[in-house]
Amino acid sequence: MTGTIAIAPVVVALVAGTTTLLARRWPRLQQTVSIGSALAYAYSVALLVRTVVFAPDGAAIAYQLGGWHAPFGITLVADALAVFMLAMTAIVAVYAVIFSVRFIEAANQRVYYHPLFHFLLLGVTGAFLTGDLFNLFVWFEVMLMASYVFVSFYGNSEHTAAAVRYVVLNVVGSALMLLGIGGLYATTGTLNMADMAQQLAQPGVDIRPVVGLSAFVFVTFALKAGLAPFQFWVPSAYRSAPIPIVAIFVGATKKVGIYAIIRLYFTVFGTANVTVAAPGITGRSPLVLLAPVLLTVGVLSVLVGGFGAVTRDSLDGLFAYSSIGQLGFVVIPLGIAAAAPSESLRQSGILAALVFALHHALTKSVLFFSTGVIRDATGTTRLSELGGIGKRSPAFAGVFLVGGLSLIGIPPLAGFFGKLFVFNAAARQFAAATSGDIAATGSALAILLVLLLGAVLTVLYSTRAWMGSVWGHETEAVAMGTIDRVEVTVLATLAVVVVVVGVGFEPVYHFADAAARAAIDTEAYTEAVGVGGG
Amino acid sequence: MTFTLAATVGALFALGTFLVLRDDLIKVVWGLAIISQAANVYLISMGGLVAAGSDTVPILATHHAPFPEPTDPVIQALILTAIVISFGMTAFALTLSYRAYQENETINVTKWEQ
Repeated sequence: MTGTIAIAPVVVALVAGTTTLLARRWPRLQQTVSIGSALAYAYSVALLVRTVVFAPDGAAIAYQLGGWHAPFGITLVADALAVFMLAMTAIVAVYAVIFSVRFIEAANQRVYYHPLFHFLLLGVTGAFLTGDLFNLFVWFEVMLMASYVFVSFYGNSEHTAAAVRYVVLNVVGSALMLLGIGGLYATTGTLNMADMAQQLAQPGVDIRPVVGLSAFVFVTFALKAGLAPFQFWVPSAYRSAPIPIVAIFVGATKKVGIYAIIRLYFTVFGTANVTVAAPGITGRSPLVLLAPVLLTVGVLSVLVGGFGAVTRDSLDGLFAYSSIGQLGFVVIPLGIAAAAPSESLRQSGILAALVFALHHALTKSVLFFSTGVIRDATGTTRLSELGGIGKRSPAFAGVFLVGGLSLIGIPPLAGFFGKLFVFNAAARQFAAATSGDIAATGSALAILLVLLLGAVLTVLYSTRAWMGSVWGHETEAVAMGTIDRVEVTVLATLAVVVVVVGVGFEPVYHFADAAARAAIDTEAYTEAVGVGGG
Repeated sequence: MTFTLAATVGALFALGTFLVLRDDLIKVVWGLAIISQAANVYLISMGGLVAAGSDTVPILATHHAPFPEPTDPVIQALILTAIVISFGMTAFALTLSYRAYQENETINVTKWEQ
C-alpha cells in the first residue's frame, strides 16, 4: 500500500513513548532509546518529505486508518504543508532530546521525562497529519496532556501556579473547540476535512453558520499559538517548563495552532468563496472575514511581544515575549493572504508565513538552548546578574551571536529570508492597495509600519540580551560557573543548521513553496484523501 | 426535547462559568468539569434527535413502538471520546490542585504569588 508511510512518524513516536516507559528502570538504556527514537522519527519524516515533495512524481499521500475509507473512517494525510511542519518539528525534536540528556538532571530524567517527550511529539505529529476534524481535537488533547505535565514539571509554587493557569485556559479552549466541531458537523454533516471542503463548495450552501462556528475553533487555535490577546499564559508557562521542552513548545506546539489555522481556513473553508456566485456574497466568505481578525491579532502580538520583550529583566522572559511577537510576524502574512484578491499574492503570503515559522522554530531553539546553557553554568537567567560570558567561552558567544543575528534578520542566516518574505508580502499588498480606496491603502501602510516597528523592537531586545549576558564585566555568577562544552558543541551544530538554511535556501524555498501551494490547492487535497471528483 | 436540551446546555455553561471564576481552586476544577460536560450535551443536540425506526436503528426490529428518540451514532462516538478525555483531565487537574495547595499553602488562587 502506497500510503502506509504516512503513518510512520506517528507509529515511531508511539513506540518510542511506550519503549522508553518500559525501559524506565535502566536510565542509560532509556536515554539511548529516546535519542535513537528521535533519530528514527527524523528519518521517517525525511522519507515522507522525499516521497511527497522531492520525488519526481511527488504527491500528497493518504492513509485510511483501519481500512475504513474516507469520509467514514479517519484519514491521515501527508501533503506538502503537513510534511513541511513535520520536518520543522523533527529537527527541533532531535536537538531537544540530545540536549535534554545532558541538560536535565539525571534524577529528573528517570521514569517519565522521556516517555512524555515522545507522547508530546506524538500529539504534534498526529495533529499535523490528521484529515479529520474531531481527530484533530483528540491529538490536541494528547499534546496538551503531555505539556500540562511539563509545565508543572519542577513542581514548586511558581510552576504549579503557572500549570494551573495553563490547564484552566486550555480546558476552556478545548470545550470551545468541541462546540465549533459539533456545530460544523451539524452544518455540513461530515467531520472529514476534505469532505467538508467539498460540502462547502456545493452551490447554494449557506455558509453563514460556518463563519460563526469557525470562530470557536479559531479561538482555540489562537490560544495554542499564543497570539495576543490569548498570549498571557505564554511567559509563565515558558519559564516553568524545562528548557528543551520550551524549544518544542516554540518549534512545534505553537506551530500546530498556526498549521490548523492554515489548513482549516485556507484549504477547507477557503473553497466556500469561489463557488458562491450570488452578487455581494463573495465579500462574506470565511476567508475575507478572517483577514481583519488575523491582521488585528498579528499586529497586537507584534506590539505586545516586542514591548514586553524589551522590558523583561531575565533572558527566558525576554525570549518568551519575543516568541509572542515573532508569531505575529507569522500571522500578519497569513492575514494578507486571506485578504488577497489574487492567487499569487495569497500563495506568497502563506509562503512568507511558513518560511518565517521555520526560521523562528530554529532560531528560537538556538536561543532557548543558549538560555539553558547559561542557566546550567550560572544558575540564573536574570540580565542584571549576567555579563562577560563572551570572555569565558567565545564558542558559546559565537552560537549566541548566530541566534541573535538570525532573530534580527541578518543575511545570510535563516531569519533574513523569513523577514524578507514577510516584508515582500506586505509591500505587495501595499502596492495592490494603492490603486484602491483610502481605507485599504491606510491599513496596508499601517501593517507595513507595525512590521517595521516590530523589526526595530527585535533589534532592541536582541541587543539587550547580547549586551546583558555576553558582553560587559564578568559578574560573580558567571565567574563561579563553568560553561558545559558538550552542550555548546550540540548547540553549535544547531547554529550551523540555521546558517545552512540561510545559505542553501534554494531547496528550502522549493519545499516551502510546495507547502504554500498545497495549502490553497483544495482539489489536490480532496483527491489525495479519496473523496475527490464529486 | 430540543428546548430542554438547549436550556440544559445554557444552565450548565452558566454554572460552569460561574464556578471557573471563583477564587477557590477546587470550585474552578468543578467548573471545568461542568463546562466540558456542557459541551458534550451540546454535541448531542447538534447530532439532532430523530424519530427512530428499525430501518435506521437495526436493533429496534425486535422491539415494539413507541421508540425513544435516539441521537446520531457518530455524535455518540465523539461524546464517548470527549468524556474519557475530560475524565483524565479532571483527574490531572485535581492532582495538580493538591500539589499547588501543598506548594502555595492555600487553594485561594488570588492569594498566590504571581
